[in-house]
Amino acid sequence: MSRIAISGIGIIAPDAIGLDAFRALLASGRTAGSPAMVRDFKARDFINPMKMRRMNNLSRFGVAAAKLALADAGVDPGRNTGVALGTAFGPVQTSVDYMREYVEKGAALAPPQLFAESVANAPGSHIAIESDFRGFNVTITQRESSALAAAMYAAAQVMKGSVDAALTGGVEEASEMTLSVLERLGALSRTAARPFDAKRDGMSLGEGGAVLLLQPRAAKSYAFISGFGMARDTTASISDWGDDHGAIVTAMRAAIDDAEIALSDVDAIYASANGSVRGDAVEGRAIEELFGDRIPPVVATKGIFGEYAAGGALQFVAATLAVDEQSLHATAGFESGTFGFTPNRERRECRLRHVLVNSVSAGGGVVCAVLSKEAT
Amino acid sequence: MGGFIWLMRKPDPNIRIAVTGVGIICSIGRNKDEVWRSIRESRAGISKLTRFPGETFPTDMAAEVAGELQLPISRREAKRMSRTDLLAVIAAKEAIDQANEHSPLRLERAVVSTGTSTGGLLEGEDYYFRRVVRGRDRAPASRVLQQPTSGPSDAIARVFRVGGGVISNATACASAGAAIGMAVDYLRSRHADVAIAGGSDALCRLTYSGFNVLQAVDPAPCAPFSAERKGITLGEGAAYLVVERWNDAVARGATILAEIAGYGASCDAHHPTAPHDEGRGAEAAMRVALDGGDVDYINAHGTGTLLNDSAETKAIVAAVGSGTPVSSSKSYFGHTLGASGAVEAAITVMSLIHQLAPPTLRLDVAASDCTLDYIAHTPRPMAMNSALSNTFGFGGANVSLLFRRVV
Repeated sequence: MSRIAISGIGIIAPDAIGLDAFRALLASGRTAGSPAMVRDFKARDFINPMKMRRMNNLSRFGVAAAKLALADAGVDPGRNTGVALGTAFGPVQTSVDYMREYVEKGAALAPPQLFAESVANAPGSHIAIESDFRGFNVTITQRESSALAAAMYAAAQVMKGSVDAALTGGVEEASEMTLSVLERLGALSRTAARPFDAKRDGMSLGEGGAVLLLQPRAAKSYAFISGFGMARDTTASISDWGDDHGAIVTAMRAAIDDAEIALSDVDAIYASANGSVRGDAVEGRAIEELFGDRIPPVVATKGIFGEYAAGGALQFVAATLAVDEQSLHATAGFESGTFGFTPNRERRECRLRHVLVNSVSAGGGVVCAVLSKEAT
Repeated sequence: MGGFIWLMRKPDPNIRIAVTGVGIICSIGRNKDEVWRSIRESRAGISKLTRFPGETFPTDMAAEVAGELQLPISRREAKRMSRTDLLAVIAAKEAIDQANEHSPLRLERAVVSTGTSTGGLLEGEDYYFRRVVRGRDRAPASRVLQQPTSGPSDAIARVFRVGGGVISNATACASAGAAIGMAVDYLRSRHADVAIAGGSDALCRLTYSGFNVLQAVDPAPCAPFSAERKGITLGEGAAYLVVERWNDAVARGATILAEIAGYGASCDAHHPTAPHDEGRGAEAAMRVALDGGDVDYINAHGTGTLLNDSAETKAIVAAVGSGTPVSSSKSYFGHTLGASGAVEAAITVMSLIHQLAPPTLRLDVAASDCTLDYIAHTPRPMAMNSALSNTFGFGGANVSLLFRRVV
């Protein structure tokens, strides 16, 4: 079974517009803070101003990242291309703006434009319209796992041949409403996310978007997607992580089996860890149990750019770049921990045949993927 | 995990997919029996909106799930869930109970796949009104916990201790169709053994107002395909199907209700809210679902808007010709938005079981741009081996599901 090529990458990240800037951000090992906001993004650099006016922030992130991915790949994948994007919260700010008008002007006079943009699939739709992509178009909204679950669907469709290519990734915005709710729930770090650290005190909400072009084969590719696995922790409540690490073990093993490799072929793990007390604990225990005394290097990247669908997509891209560069990234925000492994602390060269990517979400959902260096 | 074959992650089209459970709740009934009785008796569930007292909208029709919800869970558990979540749990319970009738489902290897467009938006609005409009800083944020559209999947997975995975999509009104299609692929790629797939959406202010400002709402109960049609009627509801690989369902002695014989997904790539005039994406989705085969009945998306019914008619003519009987069940229970793909898939499965195609109510005279064989007013008994369920959404997302009768 051949693997799926990642042939183009587009990035709109906190402190990094474009792939080169993102490579530099990752190499710096810097923490983007909490929330991790996109500051220097000018949508008009990517989108025609007439069209831009009809798009909210989330759509602009998505369309710009998609354009960058296609330009990076340097190919036109053609009309039969699908789009699967992830977003955990969708365009919350647009809904809030709509409700403000609803309250001020009345239910009959709120602007239709805002309603049209209030749907979570607006970014994916704009991407399709911009490039005339007529394949499937779906928007996955599964909390922290949104982006990896979107990649799982997109890869399956490319493999099955229902499309010639697919764009996948994730978009998120740090709206005031989302931030205030997460803050009231105590989910956010007061300073910066510290994945796997003993003193971690929450995640950071990450803004932006990352889009990847998937093709059955490509002249140039960064890495190949070779397997997926999923499971759910039945001890999880509807909105928090559970304590049974068995589901994460099951999903990791399923992804490894799906890739038709052995446990010992996994050369690194790009962890889901985002600095949350419970989420990191359950993932850490799962890694300890599955890999025992042979735990490969573990890298947690969400201390750099934050959590949710943009964060999940950026984590997936970071793992892809690690395979491409045969080099591991540093875990930003980690100082000392209590797990049976120490997350990788500095950037260093490393032979990476296969990298496991985890996504563990509140509510118990787990999606894992394997990225490989070679096409077969 | 011993002895398990994990390979073959490519969705294998040769694996047949069985529906072994159906659950539904909408304005015409709280379960399959009630819903089907309403369908048989041509009884619509559309009346004056009661949900948001004190607020005025340009139109006032709605297809609400009336009365207090009969919950299969404790009040304490229910308090943490949105109305959309609760509707989902009710429908999923009915589907799971049916699939469990003869031998237990392996829920530890099941995945929940939900489509919803609003999720907990209703509760998000309540929070917004309390905190922002009335300036109460102590509005409980826990009420907004449910707002992510992952709510229904997470709630079902929690209540039924589902261990195989959770997945949600918010692809506007095409969401639930996409959720069922996705479930088919998870089963065919063996990433899951069972799927509880469907959709749920509760009425909320934003969508009720939003479709009104788009001038897409009929002031009277909707009349899809009719010369008099002026738009949709907003509804709410949920439906779930239990789906399994055919051989697994046979092996465990389950009663197979129908087969999911194909699904197609496409995008118009045309406009953020309006469908393509010729229904090009809809046509493509139907063609993929049919894969060269024919179909005996089409449960149309049929929203009642000028644009949809015209474009869908053209797409049907192009994909299957004008001979196939067509109807829109939205004339009974309105447009249930993100849930519509599942609610209407459930109706389509029941149509095949009962060999009775539901009509489009209030379709007195078909519009000049609606040129098909529309079943009107009363159900039509007919021999059906296969039936197509169409679901389209904002952004030009289209999903078409092909169901086949079990003989």
